Amino acid sequence: MYGWIWRHLPGNTLVRAVLALLLVLGVVYVLFQYVFPWAEPLLPFGDVTVDGPEGGAG
Amino acid sequence: MSQQSTDPLDGLADETGDENGDGPADAPAGRSARRGPAMVALGVFGELLITLGLLLALFAVYSLWWTNVQADRSADLASDKLRSAWSAPPSAAPPARTYAAGDGVGFLHVPAMGAGYQVLIRMGTDADTLAEGVAGVYETPYRSAMPWDPSGNFALAAHRDGHGAKFHDLDALKPGDAVVVETQDSWYVYRVDETLPETSKYDTGVVAPVPEGSSYHSPGRYITLTTCTPVYTSRYRMAVWGSLVRVDPVDAARTPPAELR
Repeated sequence: MYGWIWRHLPGNTLVRAVLALLLVLGVVYVLFQYVFPWAEPLLPFGDVTVDGPEGGAG
Repeated sequence: MSQQSTDPLDGLADETGDENGDGPADAPAGRSARRGPAMVALGVFGELLITLGLLLALFAVYSLWWTNVQADRSADLASDKLRSAWSAPPSAAPPARTYAAGDGVGFLHVPAMGAGYQVLIRMGTDADTLAEGVAGVYETPYRSAMPWDPSGNFALAAHRDGHGAKFHDLDALKPGDAVVVETQDSWYVYRVDETLPETSKYDTGVVAPVPEGSSYHSPGRYITLTTCTPVYTSRYRMAVWGSLVRVDPVDAARTPPAELR
């Protein structure tokens, strides 16, 4: 998987390293900006309020 | 770095040629011998496991660090805004005593959670409000009484971890500790009477006007602080109960009450 990506990046090692770094940063950005905020309420780590069974996250 | 291929991975890619040339007959000798389909599948599976591990590690970084950065930034801005709104009219009419969801009410000071500890108090305990690094005032299941109301329970919730983690050290509070609510014109000084280290998240009675499970049995002017416990989970809730000791008017210099000095 990662080897396949590396082989399909253009340019020499330096160019590939820079592109790979940009890819990693892009993935981290998308995760922090969109994926984790979406996933967080679905996971049982952040509820702090007392509420009834129908009450959502707090 | 020359344009010539000096990279071992380049060499590997060249030797193996195109992606489809992986029949056994194409593997004459040496390291260019292609792995069998089972080994390839195993390799991909391993990479997926590594990816999953990285994803979980990143989520921990997000939850425990990045949400704090975001919440503190947003809470600091909102706090400055509220304080400048307070100081804007020199001696205006009494402040509005009705607050809509999301409105800033004042500040919570708890010396037991650190000198200078101060948290913005906002109406509402929905996820978006609490995510901004504030202490939220319960509006459901019981509508909280405000500190200036003649009786009732001023119930607050804040995050234990992430999103500012304002109540991370709530377990440090002991009976006798001071809890001070600062509004535009008053310091409401409460004293902690009792703590409930662990209860069910369905135990809504802890924020009732006369908190259930506490030693209070008659109406009074109470404060309740809730968060989740143990740390890093949301399995249970904890509560701290206090009652009003006195109300100090705010002077021109906003001199804090003795409990905060």
